[in-house]
Amino acid sequence: MFGFGKTVGVKIDKDLYARVAKVADVAGYATAEEFVQHILEKEMLHFEDSGNDADIRAKLKGLGYIS
Amino acid sequence: MAGFFSRLFGTDLGEPLVIVSGLPRSGTSMMMKMLEAGGLPILTDSVRTADVDNPKGYYEYERVKDLEKETDKSYVREGRGKALKVISWLLKDLPDDNRYRIIFMRRDLGEVIASQNKMLAHRGEVDQSDDRMMVDAYMNHLASVRILARKRANFEMLEVRYDTAVKDPAAAARLVNSFLAGKLDEAKMREVVDAELYRNRKA
Repeated sequence: MFGFGKTVGVKIDKDLYARVAKVADVAGYATAEEFVQHILEKEMLHFEDSGNDADIRAKLKGLGYIS
Repeated sequence: MAGFFSRLFGTDLGEPLVIVSGLPRSGTSMMMKMLEAGGLPILTDSVRTADVDNPKGYYEYERVKDLEKETDKSYVREGRGKALKVISWLLKDLPDDNRYRIIFMRRDLGEVIASQNKMLAHRGEVDQSDDRMMVDAYMNHLASVRILARKRANFEMLEVRYDTAVKDPAAAARLVNSFLAGKLDEAKMREVVDAELYRNRKA
Protein backbone atom coordinates (compact mmCIF):
# COMPACT_ATOMS: atom_id res chain seq x y z
CA MET A 1 0.00 0.00 0.00
CA PHE A 2 1.07 3.56 -0.67
CA GLY A 3 0.72 6.19 2.03
CA PHE A 4 -1.88 4.04 3.73
CA GLY A 5 -3.55 5.45 6.87
CA LYS A 6 -2.00 5.49 10.32
CA THR A 7 -2.65 2.60 12.67
CA VAL A 8 -3.44 2.31 16.36
CA GLY A 9 -2.94 -0.58 18.75
CA VAL A 10 -5.93 -2.40 20.23
CA LYS A 11 -5.57 -4.85 23.13
CA ILE A 12 -7.38 -8.17 22.89
CA ASP A 13 -7.34 -11.36 24.94
CA LYS A 14 -4.17 -13.38 24.34
CA ASP A 15 -5.98 -16.67 23.74
CA LEU A 16 -8.36 -15.00 21.32
CA TYR A 17 -5.40 -13.51 19.46
CA ALA A 18 -3.84 -16.98 19.16
CA ARG A 19 -7.07 -18.30 17.65
CA VAL A 20 -7.27 -15.30 15.31
CA ALA A 21 -3.68 -15.81 14.17
CA LYS A 22 -4.34 -19.48 13.48
CA VAL A 23 -7.44 -18.82 11.39
CA ALA A 24 -5.75 -15.91 9.57
CA ASP A 25 -2.91 -18.21 8.59
CA VAL A 26 -5.24 -20.96 7.35
CA ALA A 27 -7.41 -18.44 5.49
CA GLY A 28 -4.39 -17.05 3.65
CA TYR A 29 -4.12 -13.60 5.19
CA ALA A 30 -0.65 -12.07 5.26
CA THR A 31 -0.94 -11.23 8.96
CA ALA A 32 -3.37 -11.57 11.83
CA GLU A 33 -3.71 -7.78 11.79
CA GLU A 34 -4.87 -7.87 8.17
CA PHE A 35 -7.45 -10.49 9.06
CA VAL A 36 -8.70 -8.48 12.04
CA GLN A 37 -8.97 -5.35 9.87
CA HIS A 38 -10.98 -7.27 7.27
CA ILE A 39 -13.39 -8.67 9.86
CA LEU A 40 -13.84 -5.28 11.49
CA GLU A 41 -14.51 -3.57 8.14
CA LYS A 42 -17.17 -6.17 7.37
CA GLU A 43 -18.78 -5.92 10.78
CA MET A 44 -18.76 -2.13 10.78
CA LEU A 45 -21.03 -2.19 7.77
CA HIS A 46 -23.73 -3.80 9.92
CA PHE A 47 -23.54 -0.97 12.41
CA GLU A 48 -23.10 1.99 10.13
CA ASP A 49 -25.93 3.48 8.20
CA SER A 50 -25.81 2.09 4.69
CA GLY A 51 -28.87 4.04 3.62
CA ASN A 52 -26.78 6.75 1.99
CA ASP A 53 -26.58 5.06 -1.39
CA ALA A 54 -29.21 7.44 -2.76
CA ASP A 55 -27.05 10.44 -1.78
CA ILE A 56 -24.01 9.00 -3.50
CA ARG A 57 -25.98 8.05 -6.58
CA ALA A 58 -27.47 11.56 -6.87
CA LYS A 59 -24.05 13.13 -6.52
CA LEU A 60 -22.41 10.88 -9.11
CA LYS A 61 -25.25 11.45 -11.53
CA GLY A 62 -24.94 15.20 -11.12
CA LEU A 63 -21.22 14.95 -11.76
CA GLY A 64 -21.89 12.96 -14.94
CA TYR A 65 -20.21 9.72 -13.84
CA ILE A 66 -23.25 7.43 -13.96
CA SER A 67 -26.26 7.48 -16.24
CA MET B 1 -4.80 -28.74 -24.69
CA ALA B 2 -4.17 -26.26 -21.89
CA GLY B 3 -6.21 -23.69 -23.80
CA PHE B 4 -9.08 -26.15 -24.13
CA PHE B 5 -9.18 -26.82 -20.37
CA SER B 6 -8.89 -23.17 -19.47
CA ARG B 7 -11.83 -22.36 -21.75
CA LEU B 8 -13.80 -25.32 -20.39
CA PHE B 9 -13.34 -24.24 -16.77
CA GLY B 10 -13.70 -20.58 -17.50
CA THR B 11 -10.16 -19.65 -16.52
CA ASP B 12 -9.18 -18.24 -19.93
CA LEU B 13 -9.49 -14.64 -18.82
CA GLY B 14 -6.67 -13.28 -20.95
CA GLU B 15 -4.49 -10.30 -20.19
CA PRO B 16 -5.78 -8.22 -17.27
CA LEU B 17 -7.44 -4.86 -17.72
CA VAL B 18 -5.84 -2.06 -15.79
CA ILE B 19 -8.67 -0.24 -14.05
CA VAL B 20 -8.09 3.23 -12.67
CA SER B 21 -10.69 3.80 -9.99
CA GLY B 22 -11.65 5.88 -7.00
CA LEU B 23 -14.20 8.53 -6.15
CA PRO B 24 -14.61 11.26 -8.76
CA ARG B 25 -12.07 14.06 -8.11
CA SER B 26 -9.57 11.78 -6.39
CA GLY B 27 -6.88 11.89 -9.09
CA THR B 28 -8.11 9.21 -11.48
CA SER B 29 -7.52 11.36 -14.58
CA MET B 30 -4.00 12.14 -13.41
CA MET B 31 -3.30 8.43 -13.02
CA MET B 32 -4.73 7.72 -16.49
CA LYS B 33 -2.39 10.37 -17.87
CA MET B 34 0.55 8.78 -16.07
CA LEU B 35 -0.26 5.36 -17.51
CA GLU B 36 -0.66 6.78 -21.01
CA ALA B 37 2.68 8.59 -20.72
CA GLY B 38 4.26 5.40 -19.43
CA GLY B 39 3.23 3.59 -22.61
CA LEU B 40 0.06 1.74 -21.59
CA PRO B 41 -2.72 1.88 -24.21
CA ILE B 42 -5.85 3.66 -22.97
CA LEU B 43 -9.46 2.72 -23.66
CA THR B 44 -11.22 6.05 -24.10
CA ASP B 45 -13.66 7.54 -26.57
CA SER B 46 -12.80 11.17 -25.76
CA VAL B 47 -16.51 12.08 -25.68
CA ARG B 48 -16.07 14.06 -22.48
CA THR B 49 -13.55 16.71 -23.36
CA ALA B 50 -11.24 18.78 -21.19
CA ASP B 51 -12.83 21.62 -19.23
CA VAL B 52 -12.12 23.89 -16.29
CA ASP B 53 -12.44 20.97 -13.84
CA ASN B 54 -10.14 18.67 -15.79
CA PRO B 55 -7.96 20.85 -18.04
CA LYS B 56 -5.97 17.83 -19.22
CA GLY B 57 -8.94 15.67 -20.10
CA TYR B 58 -11.10 13.03 -18.44
CA TYR B 59 -9.87 9.84 -20.15
CA GLU B 60 -13.35 8.34 -19.95
CA TYR B 61 -15.18 5.71 -21.93
CA GLU B 62 -18.79 6.87 -22.10
CA ARG B 63 -20.37 3.41 -22.13
CA VAL B 64 -18.89 2.61 -18.71
CA LYS B 65 -21.44 4.97 -17.18
CA ASP B 66 -24.11 2.39 -18.02
CA LEU B 67 -22.34 -0.55 -16.37
CA GLU B 68 -25.07 -0.81 -13.72
CA LYS B 69 -27.84 -1.05 -16.30
CA GLU B 70 -26.39 -2.82 -19.30
CA THR B 71 -26.61 -6.58 -19.52
CA ASP B 72 -24.21 -6.99 -22.44
CA LYS B 73 -20.84 -6.02 -21.02
CA SER B 74 -18.76 -7.96 -23.50
CA TYR B 75 -17.21 -4.69 -24.75
CA VAL B 76 -15.18 -4.50 -21.55
CA ARG B 77 -12.96 -7.24 -23.00
CA GLU B 78 -11.70 -4.69 -25.51
CA GLY B 79 -9.84 -3.19 -22.58
CA ARG B 80 -7.65 -6.22 -21.94
CA GLY B 81 -4.07 -5.02 -21.80
CA LYS B 82 -5.28 -1.42 -21.67
CA ALA B 83 -6.22 1.11 -19.00
CA LEU B 84 -9.88 1.89 -18.41
CA LYS B 85 -11.30 4.42 -15.97
CA VAL B 86 -14.15 3.08 -13.83
CA ILE B 87 -15.30 5.05 -10.79
CA SER B 88 -15.45 3.16 -7.51
CA TRP B 89 -19.25 2.97 -7.51
CA LEU B 90 -19.21 0.89 -10.69
CA LEU B 91 -16.47 -1.60 -9.77
CA LYS B 92 -19.12 -4.03 -8.50
CA ASP B 93 -20.64 -4.08 -11.99
CA LEU B 94 -17.52 -5.17 -13.88
CA PRO B 95 -18.14 -8.52 -15.59
CA ASP B 96 -16.48 -11.66 -14.22
CA ASP B 97 -14.95 -12.80 -17.49
CA ASN B 98 -11.86 -10.62 -17.17
CA ARG B 99 -9.01 -10.14 -14.72
CA TYR B 100 -8.59 -6.66 -13.27
CA ARG B 101 -5.58 -4.87 -11.83
CA ILE B 102 -7.13 -1.93 -10.07
CA ILE B 103 -5.23 1.22 -9.21
CA PHE B 104 -7.44 2.80 -6.59
CA MET B 105 -6.89 6.51 -6.01
CA ARG B 106 -7.44 7.82 -2.48
CA ARG B 107 -7.73 11.44 -1.44
CA ASP B 108 -8.83 13.28 1.67
CA LEU B 109 -12.64 13.09 1.61
CA GLY B 110 -13.04 16.74 2.54
CA GLU B 111 -10.98 17.67 -0.52
CA VAL B 112 -12.90 15.24 -2.72
CA ILE B 113 -16.25 16.68 -1.68
CA ALA B 114 -15.08 20.29 -2.01
CA SER B 115 -13.83 19.55 -5.52
CA GLN B 116 -17.03 17.68 -6.44
CA ASN B 117 -19.13 20.59 -5.19
CA LYS B 118 -17.21 23.01 -7.41
CA MET B 119 -17.66 20.73 -10.38
CA LEU B 120 -21.40 20.43 -9.71
CA ALA B 121 -21.63 24.24 -9.62
CA HIS B 122 -19.76 24.49 -12.94
CA ARG B 123 -22.22 22.02 -14.42
CA GLY B 124 -25.17 24.04 -13.13
CA GLU B 125 -26.40 21.14 -11.00
CA VAL B 126 -28.41 21.70 -7.82
CA ASP B 127 -26.76 19.82 -4.95
CA GLN B 128 -28.69 19.39 -1.72
CA SER B 129 -26.38 16.90 -0.07
CA ASP B 130 -24.88 17.59 3.33
CA ASP B 131 -21.08 17.48 3.26
CA ARG B 132 -20.73 15.72 6.61
CA MET B 133 -23.24 13.06 5.62
CA MET B 134 -21.38 12.58 2.35
CA VAL B 135 -18.14 11.94 4.25
CA ASP B 136 -19.88 9.14 6.18
CA ALA B 137 -21.49 7.76 3.04
CA TYR B 138 -18.18 7.73 1.16
CA MET B 139 -16.38 6.13 4.10
CA ASN B 140 -18.88 3.28 4.11
CA HIS B 141 -18.69 3.01 0.36
CA LEU B 142 -14.89 2.78 0.42
CA ALA B 143 -15.07 0.01 3.04
CA SER B 144 -17.44 -1.93 0.81
CA VAL B 145 -15.05 -1.51 -2.14
CA ARG B 146 -12.21 -3.02 -0.09
CA ILE B 147 -14.38 -5.97 0.84
CA LEU B 148 -15.39 -6.37 -2.79
CA ALA B 149 -11.74 -6.39 -3.85
CA ARG B 150 -11.01 -9.19 -1.40
CA LYS B 151 -14.03 -11.23 -2.40
CA ARG B 152 -13.56 -11.11 -6.16
CA ALA B 153 -10.85 -13.56 -7.17
CA ASN B 154 -10.26 -11.68 -10.43
CA PHE B 155 -9.54 -8.37 -8.64
CA GLU B 156 -6.09 -7.19 -7.54
CA MET B 157 -6.04 -3.74 -6.02
CA LEU B 158 -3.35 -1.19 -5.27
CA GLU B 159 -4.22 1.96 -3.33
CA VAL B 160 -2.42 5.17 -4.25
CA ARG B 161 -2.86 8.40 -2.33
CA TYR B 162 -3.30 11.42 -4.57
CA ASP B 163 -1.47 13.87 -2.29
CA THR B 164 1.50 11.53 -1.92
CA ALA B 165 1.64 10.93 -5.65
CA VAL B 166 1.68 14.67 -6.36
CA LYS B 167 4.37 15.20 -3.73
CA ASP B 168 6.56 12.34 -4.94
CA PRO B 169 5.65 11.38 -8.53
CA ALA B 170 8.77 9.25 -8.92
CA ALA B 171 7.77 7.02 -6.00
CA ALA B 172 4.20 6.79 -7.31
CA ALA B 173 5.42 5.86 -10.80
CA ARG B 174 7.73 3.22 -9.34
CA LEU B 175 4.96 1.73 -7.21
CA VAL B 176 2.42 1.61 -10.04
CA ASN B 177 4.93 0.25 -12.52
CA SER B 178 5.89 -2.49 -10.10
CA PHE B 179 2.19 -3.39 -9.65
CA LEU B 180 1.83 -3.61 -13.44
CA ALA B 181 4.84 -5.89 -13.97
CA GLY B 182 7.39 -3.15 -14.63
CA LYS B 183 6.89 -2.50 -18.34
CA LEU B 184 6.13 1.22 -18.18
CA ASP B 185 8.42 4.21 -18.64
CA GLU B 186 8.60 5.65 -15.11
CA ALA B 187 10.45 8.81 -16.17
CA LYS B 188 7.67 9.75 -18.56
CA MET B 189 5.02 8.83 -15.99
CA ARG B 190 6.40 11.21 -13.38
CA GLU B 191 6.88 14.04 -15.88
CA VAL B 192 3.14 14.42 -16.46
CA VAL B 193 2.22 14.92 -12.80
CA ASP B 194 1.23 18.57 -12.51
CA ALA B 195 1.11 19.79 -8.91
CA GLU B 196 -0.63 22.97 -10.15
CA LEU B 197 -3.78 20.92 -10.67
CA TYR B 198 -3.95 19.97 -7.00
CA ARG B 199 -6.22 22.91 -6.30
CA ASN B 200 -8.66 21.88 -3.58
CA ARG B 201 -6.25 21.28 -0.74
CA LYS B 202 -7.18 20.84 2.87
CA ALA B 203 -6.07 23.91 4.84
